[in-house]
Amino acid sequence: MKAWQWIAMAIALAVLASLPWWGSDVTVQFAINALLLAVLAQGWNIIGGYTGYASFGNSVFYGLGSYGVAIAMVQWHLPFAVGLLFGVALAVAFALLLGVPVLRLRGHYFAIATLALAGVMAAIVSNIPLAGQNIGLVLPPLNDDRLFYGLALGLMLVSTAVVWWLTRSRFGFGLIAIRENEDGAAVMGVNTTLYKVLAFTLSGVLSSLAGGIHAYWITFLDPESAFDIGLNVKMIIMAVFGGAGTVLGPVIGAFTLSAISEWLSSEVTSIATLFFGVVIIAAVVLMPHGLMDLARRARLGTLTWRYLGENVRANKL
Amino acid sequence: MDLLAQVLANGILLGGLYAVMALGLALVWGVLNIVNLAHGSFIMLGAYCSWHLFHYLHVDPFLGLPITAVVMFALGYGVQRGLLNLIVRAPMFNTLLLTFGLDVVLTYLAQLAFSADFRAINPGYAGSQVHWGPMVLPLVRLGAFAVALALTVGMWLFLLHTRLGRAIRATAQNLVAARLHGVEPRHLYALTFAIGIALAGTAGGLYGTVSQINPYIGASLTLKSFAIAIIGGLDNPLGVLVGGLFLGVVEALTTLYVGPTFVDVASFGILALVLIVRPTGLLGRTT
Repeated sequence: MKAWQWIAMAIALAVLASLPWWGSDVTVQFAINALLLAVLAQGWNIIGGYTGYASFGNSVFYGLGSYGVAIAMVQWHLPFAVGLLFGVALAVAFALLLGVPVLRLRGHYFAIATLALAGVMAAIVSNIPLAGQNIGLVLPPLNDDRLFYGLALGLMLVSTAVVWWLTRSRFGFGLIAIRENEDGAAVMGVNTTLYKVLAFTLSGVLSSLAGGIHAYWITFLDPESAFDIGLNVKMIIMAVFGGAGTVLGPVIGAFTLSAISEWLSSEVTSIATLFFGVVIIAAVVLMPHGLMDLARRARLGTLTWRYLGENVRANKL
Repeated sequence: MDLLAQVLANGILLGGLYAVMALGLALVWGVLNIVNLAHGSFIMLGAYCSWHLFHYLHVDPFLGLPITAVVMFALGYGVQRGLLNLIVRAPMFNTLLLTFGLDVVLTYLAQLAFSADFRAINPGYAGSQVHWGPMVLPLVRLGAFAVALALTVGMWLFLLHTRLGRAIRATAQNLVAARLHGVEPRHLYALTFAIGIALAGTAGGLYGTVSQINPYIGASLTLKSFAIAIIGGLDNPLGVLVGGLFLGVVEALTTLYVGPTFVDVASFGILALVLIVRPTGLLGRTT
């Protein structure tokens, strides 16, 4: 990285770290949400962006993390930290148990299998008395937005560091090799099953932590919101909008889209949903490589309106 | 025993409707290689189209089906020609995202135009029943089942024996070779998608007669359609029919023996299980 990029990063970090001391309550709450979404997008980036497996099951990890915290705190009266660990344990168990059979599937089949698993998990949880069935669980309230902000920021930094580590480690190269050509990677000696399951697990751990923090912050959860497939699509679109398979893309995507949708919903209520749909469509058609690619082009001086047309022409029939 | 027979009959009648829902999805997926996450929303739009015809113009819901089909056909043609054709060659993941975006937009617009209230299509004969042995079969469900059966078999014959059907199957097998034989892919893709959406719309019209509709029914119908298409395989409408009947019966039996809250566990569980064990569908490839 060049000097100005380091400086920009340092400024961004300083602004983020000091936000609770100068931002309003609304700003801090918005930032907690955006940071947790950034963690989810980053988690998805590991399995979807780097490994090339379009997971629609990451919301399951988020849900398991939420329920881990909720069950531990409400039913067993354990501290929050133990709940987080319990949620992570659930997510790891899920990733290891179901990762092996599901990650054998490729392309559409993997996407739909994970989509089905998300549906199964929501339906199972809404039948478990320990998890409060359909009604959900109410957690003990803790009115400390600074604490939650700190946790969310820390988790976001950790997940970005993990993804950064991927770009320069043997493990990360193995994942990229699987994305580019799985059979080729296997021939070159990458243990593809092990690598894929590890990537799935890693992505699950990050997502479940985000779910756990969110559950304690919001203090309420039910199966429908915890295992919401719409949330899974949100993390995908944030990662893709920023740039899937890049270190900073998902974080930038999460912040940009959260900010725009927040601004829209304050201007015109309920239009935020429609906006999301339109952005998904426009982003996929016009800039499928994301904001990071746009920025790269701008640096190289090759960014013109023709770029959008080129993207369309590359993919149309 | 009578109860079991009745539950089985309900499951089979519902299964026929399920088959029509999944027919369009399987066609589009098999031929265009587009996994349409907005499929359920098109079913929902078809249901609303049928409801408007019935409510405002007093068209019988069964006689109105061809009108619904034509409207949805036109919509499908436009969507494929104007939007989906732009990303057909993109990585599969982009088509998933795009159709999800489409689903969000359609659901939102439907909610804006039709409100979130529940609607039902209740013709005068909605309460009539047919007694057959120990079983009671509602007339509407029987009618929906008959239409579903006719559509599935009709689709099968259409794909096997007409010129357009052959062109569609040829494109599914090898786009380049089909092109060399004079198939215009942009038009053919749009036609195929339009047929798929017309089927979805018809299924929606039938769904409106047997169940309540609102703008949010799409998502779960999409997942059900996936389950059926995966069970039945993508290359044969008759396989989809078997898949639909299977899912209908499993759901009915789950409701009876395990409890109504476990229906989704059963259908999504079957979907995941079939994918893991046999990704080409339980019935496999016929070619």
